[in-house]
Amino acid sequence: MYGALDISTSGMVAQRTRLAAISTNIANANTMLRADGGYEPFRRRSVQFAVGDPTSANPAGRELGVHVASIEIDQSPFRKRSAPDSPYKDAGGYVKVPNINTAVEQINALEAARAYEANVVAAETSKTMMGQALRLLA
Amino acid sequence: MMESLSTSGGLAATELMMRFAGGRQRVLAHNIANLSTPGFQPKDVSVEGFRASLRAALDERGGRGGRGALEIDNGEVVASLSPSGVGRMRLEPGTASGNILFHDRNNRDLERSMQSLAENAGMYRVAAELWRKQSGMLKAAISERV
Amino acid sequence: MSDPVGLIGGGGLNPARQVAPSAAGARQGGPDFARVLRDNLEQVNEMQADADQAVKDLMTGDRGDLEGVILATEKADNAFRMLQQMRNKVMAAYEEIKQVRV
Repeated sequence: MYGALDISTSGMVAQRTRLAAISTNIANANTMLRADGGYEPFRRRSVQFAVGDPTSANPAGRELGVHVASIEIDQSPFRKRSAPDSPYKDAGGYVKVPNINTAVEQINALEAARAYEANVVAAETSKTMMGQALRLLA
Repeated sequence: MMESLSTSGGLAATELMMRFAGGRQRVLAHNIANLSTPGFQPKDVSVEGFRASLRAALDERGGRGGRGALEIDNGEVVASLSPSGVGRMRLEPGTASGNILFHDRNNRDLERSMQSLAENAGMYRVAAELWRKQSGMLKAAISERV
Repeated sequence: MSDPVGLIGGGGLNPARQVAPSAAGARQGGPDFARVLRDNLEQVNEMQADADQAVKDLMTGDRGDLEGVILATEKADNAFRMLQQMRNKVMAAYEEIKQVRV
């Protein structure tokens, strides 16, 4: 049972990172400009999960659990929206908008939250079992 | 009478069950942590397989007069319990079967994983409490004045 | 001094000891205490073995009723403790009798 708690914690951290990426996407669903003011529509972020936990102190534990291997920037083409009055319009009168579908992001957020909760339950179960083991000493 | 309690199968069986469920907890936590990992196949060890091996080991030990070590090796579980109480428990989980046909893999894995988690915790608790009970009976026999 | 129960030399319970039944059987009326003790001892032993087997069966999956196993272990535990108390009382009585100056 040792390490079960670490594994569940790695799951929680990974899902929370995923939720953070989703929140970023939702918050920036209409962002057109970079931080310095240049015109660059926001690109969707997504996380890549991979098995294992490189941060584990125990060498054996590095193969268990999960971690975020990378945060990808979605390279799919931008959608276009008609905006004849925008200063950033192109030749046809369209501007590019971020490739984010808020409905999809919200569904993903639900799933991430559910997976997070599953890891919480697993962690609580491990803690309960450890408590029972301690009671053997009584 | 007291000797039979200390070398009895009851204490050994509950101890091995506890250690098995404790080890399986890691496997199940690993499955739950990787619910969203692409391409991940959940793994598990067979509880029925362990129970059958435990039964065989207890019978074999009974044939030796109830003395000596308990040995289990069924491909997934390698465990031993010697009279001194020191022993080992190693689990080699295999791929859980039967899930490749469903596209909605994620949902089935979640429910199945949570159920396995609850059952495993239950098994652990039962074994722990029964071990405590038997150990307590032993202690009562030891502590009363002669 | 007569030793109808066989406590002298045993110092406690020893199921293997053969207590002479004739001396005890010659007593009037009351039950043969030695036999009662021995029967109780065997009964407790059997209950302990049954409880142990019940636990093993539950672990191997040969039985599925947790409550039956719990009851079996509780009964065996109670029976053992009662026997232990009985033995303690008998020992105390023996010590008291030993003190009597004839």
